[in-house]
Amino acid sequence: MTEAKKEIKVTGNERPKIGVYICHCGVNIGGVVSVPDLVEYTKTLPNVEVAQEYKFFCSDVGQKIIKEDIEAGLVNRVVVAACSPRMHEPTFRITCKEAGLNQFLFEMANIREHSTWVHMRDPEGAYEIAKDHIRMAVAKARELKPLEVQKVKVEPSCLIIGGGVAGMNAALDLATEGYKVYLIEKTPTIGGHMAQLDKTFPTMDCSSCILTPKMSEISREKNIELLTYSEVVEVSGFIGNFEVTILKKPHYVDQEKCTGCGVCVDYCPVVVGNEFELGLATRKAIYIPFPQAIPGQYTIDMDNCIKCGICARIDVCEPEAINFDDKPEYLKIKVGTIIVATGWDLYDPTELKQYGYGRYPNVITGLQMERLLSSFGPVIGKPVRPSDLKEPHSIAFLQCVGSRNFREGGNQYCSRVCCMYATKQARQYKEKHPDADIYIFYMDIRAFGKGYEEFYESAGQNYGINFMRGRIAEVIEDDDHNIIIRAEDTLLQQPIELTVNLFVLSCGLEPRADADIITSLLRIQRSADGFFLEAHPKLRPVDTLTEGIFIAGVAQGPKDIPDAVAQAKGAASSAAVLMSQGEVEIEPFFAVVRPERCIGCGMCVENCAYGAIELVEDKWFGTVAKINEALCKGCGACSGNCRCSAIDIIGFTGEQIFSIIMGGEL
Amino acid sequence: MSENVEKYIKRKVYKSTSSRIAQKFVDAGLEKIRACINCGTCTGSCPSGRRTAYRTRSAIRRALTGDESVLKDIDIWLCSTCYYCYERCPRDIPVTDMIIKLRNIAVEEGYILDSHFGLANDIFYATGHGVPATGENNKKWRDLRESYGLPPLPPTVHSYPEAVKECQELMNAVGFRKLLDNAAKLKEERAQAAKKDKEE
Repeated sequence: MTEAKKEIKVTGNERPKIGVYICHCGVNIGGVVSVPDLVEYTKTLPNVEVAQEYKFFCSDVGQKIIKEDIEAGLVNRVVVAACSPRMHEPTFRITCKEAGLNQFLFEMANIREHSTWVHMRDPEGAYEIAKDHIRMAVAKARELKPLEVQKVKVEPSCLIIGGGVAGMNAALDLATEGYKVYLIEKTPTIGGHMAQLDKTFPTMDCSSCILTPKMSEISREKNIELLTYSEVVEVSGFIGNFEVTILKKPHYVDQEKCTGCGVCVDYCPVVVGNEFELGLATRKAIYIPFPQAIPGQYTIDMDNCIKCGICARIDVCEPEAINFDDKPEYLKIKVGTIIVATGWDLYDPTELKQYGYGRYPNVITGLQMERLLSSFGPVIGKPVRPSDLKEPHSIAFLQCVGSRNFREGGNQYCSRVCCMYATKQARQYKEKHPDADIYIFYMDIRAFGKGYEEFYESAGQNYGINFMRGRIAEVIEDDDHNIIIRAEDTLLQQPIELTVNLFVLSCGLEPRADADIITSLLRIQRSADGFFLEAHPKLRPVDTLTEGIFIAGVAQGPKDIPDAVAQAKGAASSAAVLMSQGEVEIEPFFAVVRPERCIGCGMCVENCAYGAIELVEDKWFGTVAKINEALCKGCGACSGNCRCSAIDIIGFTGEQIFSIIMGGEL
Repeated sequence: MSENVEKYIKRKVYKSTSSRIAQKFVDAGLEKIRACINCGTCTGSCPSGRRTAYRTRSAIRRALTGDESVLKDIDIWLCSTCYYCYERCPRDIPVTDMIIKLRNIAVEEGYILDSHFGLANDIFYATGHGVPATGENNKKWRDLRESYGLPPLPPTVHSYPEAVKECQELMNAVGFRKLLDNAAKLKEERAQAAKKDKEE
């Protein structure tokens, strides 16, 4: 009630009384241009009633100065000349609101990022630019109209894309809080890359022992609808009200009837490479990816199936679950929030010809080594080299394969996990083969996490692993398929040549090959490295720039399991914040049509990227465009293209934009 | 475009370094030398270094850190410019170009090998040929030419001795003569100083 009482009524007709508050921002602005001079200049602008300076207007004291002027009736429009609106526009809007002024009668002039920061070595030029910015903001303030924020309902449900360790943790958190979760996974099982790992550094926890309980928890949790072997094909709508179309790929095995007995596998005559084992083992055309897969029902890989029909025989599949006529299904769901946890792909080292991957049999990737070490892998934890299936006596690891590489096709970033996984694999092998010779060729060891440095230190001291500083230049093969390594020991400044039985490339992590599809479906951004872009690198690490969509895990950038889980829980919490409120405020910056001007040409309908415009019949003006305010993002594509100037964007109307332009010429 | 704008839109590169040699690289637009992470790919790749004492990474490192003894190190002349290091450098540094630049700097400062000076001064400058066909040792080439029915000497400055002057003019114009004279002078000065040191 008190808020309603304090409301200061401002109509469009009232004489604008503009208060301009110029911030020093410490020395950021005040150290480059003379703020007192700016104040004197501002006072000469029309309709400016108050012009003041202060060291930090974003401080409590600074905000109080503005509030007092509003409450005393001195000003009915506020301009703050300070930093970027991305920093403090919300702060000052609340200041206005608390003092009883409509929050949209506020305008910000960015004289820090646009003036004193970029022109810090040219104070005179910066002063002129700052004057321009203030004059333009004052001109726009003169034309401001009070607006009301829009409220939209948020569906209490969340779509999580990706069923790896990040997606699973986010799903469990949200489901436990009582929200409906749709967990969608492209492959036939959840678990992601973590299911492929044997042990996890630095504690040497068995990866599947800590992951599989989570997986079965997911399948038991009634609030989670698990959609494996499915893909998102269409996303429309906006925060709180996303409409998602999901493609459920055909399993060709009735998932209700299949008991997971596995008899069909014994009879299936088709043998193909197993993608879960990274080509180190085979599978049949009817398969589950790995024994603990969830769900545990079988899938037929139709690309390789020869349709012999043996698996469909009643003596093979007793429950009669095989269905060769299975069709793809499309499912439409409505969710309030979306979490993207699509994970990563391993860097493909085939392009780095000097390392011989794909050419020499005994050159493998780190993830293949992980499968060799795995207790449920192709060689049940007793690594052998591919050429002759003998246990290697000597192994060399090479770090930074594809990472920290400025060349075309390489990744400039550090993948963060390779130093530790190579050290872990080396230790694991050494535990079982104490007399083995292990070399790790590195440039810098990055043991940054809790317990990681101790783990690395112990690898050298207690396990006798040889850390060699130098990047391998080239490898060749001898007659026994041993790998001859040529490198420089940079600490000795000597070129060295070394023969090992097995050579492991510690490849880095890359964005998913299909990340582009997700980007365009969800209209989210990617950073220069190709991973999804967070809204703010420090303070909004799980948000995207599209409201209501969050990112978790390696989809945002390379990280280890603890970090991926922490971020997943953060994303779940951020999504829950929206859903628990039930509704969110959105800015009223949408397009409006003046039907008296519209000729119904339909140009705007074609230009709108959000499908927010349609043509309707008006009683007075015939065919005119109509805008769905909830779908409109206020981008202005329609307004700029309208040949009749019939469309305005509220908050950025033609009058306001022209007043800025004319104000700049005064 | 105003000078001011130009200054800001250019990629920010801090031009000054503490090493005099590194500064010469930066001034020549080769500031990429500073991106080196000392991984050793260049040395490991080097077919010359596998047989000699030439260490690509060390040479670059010494240049970067200002160890000027690298200029008189004869090892930098052992690079065969095969471009393996250039091809493989993960930081995309033009390593071979760096070594060539290092040699340029060495010659500018008078560190030129006797054999190189002899070739440049006595043969190339004097005859206009890097590998002349006139000497006693090269008779077999003249015989070979004749066996194909060609004149014993090619239609170059060998056939037109008056053109040697033109070649020399060209070499003077591009500063080749000056470079050699300067190198010889600095070398002589250094030899005198060393002799004096020894006497004392």
